[in-house]
Amino acid sequence: MYGRRASQLLGELASAEKGQLTVFNSDTFDQVIKECNEHNLQLQTLIRKIEDQNLDIQTTRNEDHFGAVIHHLSLARNKRCLMAYMYNRSEIIQSLRWKIGPILPQEIQEKLSYSEEEYFKNHSAAIDSYMSELDLDLTVDMVPPKDPYIQVRVLDDIGEVCLGDMEISLTRHSVHFLRRTDAEQFISQVCNHKQFSLRPASDFA
Amino acid sequence: MSGYYNINDILMEEEPMSVVFQVGANGVGLLDPGSDTNNVDKGAQVDLPFWLAHELYLRQAVSINVPACFNQKTRNEIQADAACVDLRIRCPYFYELGCKTVPLIADKSIGPFLLHSFSSRYKEVLSRSHSTPSTAASKFLPRLTKEETQLFEAAQSSMASYKKWRVGGSRLEKASILGRKRKTTLPIDPPSP
Repeated sequence: MYGRRASQLLGELASAEKGQLTVFNSDTFDQVIKECNEHNLQLQTLIRKIEDQNLDIQTTRNEDHFGAVIHHLSLARNKRCLMAYMYNRSEIIQSLRWKIGPILPQEIQEKLSYSEEEYFKNHSAAIDSYMSELDLDLTVDMVPPKDPYIQVRVLDDIGEVCLGDMEISLTRHSVHFLRRTDAEQFISQVCNHKQFSLRPASDFA
Repeated sequence: MSGYYNINDILMEEEPMSVVFQVGANGVGLLDPGSDTNNVDKGAQVDLPFWLAHELYLRQAVSINVPACFNQKTRNEIQADAACVDLRIRCPYFYELGCKTVPLIADKSIGPFLLHSFSSRYKEVLSRSHSTPSTAASKFLPRLTKEETQLFEAAQSSMASYKKWRVGGSRLEKASILGRKRKTTLPIDPPSP
């Protein structure tokens, strides 16, 4: 049946888990394209036949016309299926940049076709250049923090610090309730200076 | 739900429809398995996917028969006990196909029939989604159409969210940014007693 193979391609997408990529089915994809070429050939043949009989192509409604119509519709249908296949995959690929980052793990990379890899690279580069222009990493904090305050436990002695309008002493193993923006600098400094280390108390839960 | 790239929309249009050709068509013998030539003759009864049947109907090339999933037998079963009927085996896109078929056929009783079956099954779907444990759902779920399955899942997830909200949930959520940094910088930090 016309268009059957193309819809099988989509059925594969639909049965996959939401947001998960399947391996790019280039076999079926190429077969559908071959089918399209076949339809195109048949369409041309039928139209030539109508023209050979010196009939007006606009108004003729004979058997050749309806044959051509069916081939044309099948072509359009196959095109829609292929486009939807690419489009829905590309949406997942775009989301990977936000979820995983600019480097894809091997097992995902294997599922992409060559053009999809290129697409991911270019999409990733576009986001990177935008973020460097903004000087802001957009991929963190995708869900806004619930509370501007955060409970932290001090891992190493830091000493007296000025936070906003008050001074607090961050001694080892003391628990504090700080503004998230204040605490964040200490937490992120962990990588540079080991002695500054706070840690959100919720981690202990 | 309709859209050029919508997968469900495309798959729904693949559902077979029984049609009768009002004209002949050359070069498409594949459509009619009973035909010896490469043509489909006038008056031939053929199963076409919905997308093709619909377009040909608009060009007055075919007439469409009532799809098998809306036959009298199904109607009787729905009338008896709507919730127990396995609609997926009849057509996974039962309602969507019905809505798109109504303008194409003379039988206008399909509209009320769809409404009746949906409203009587809807109640069952919702109450089951709250009461059925996930292990027992496997008996009930395969009877639902695609749309009903989505409803079922939506009801379940909204109930879960409601319960989470009622007990308060965690007020202080670990910001993803912090989690990410910790992961890369302090992977071997021992938890304090």
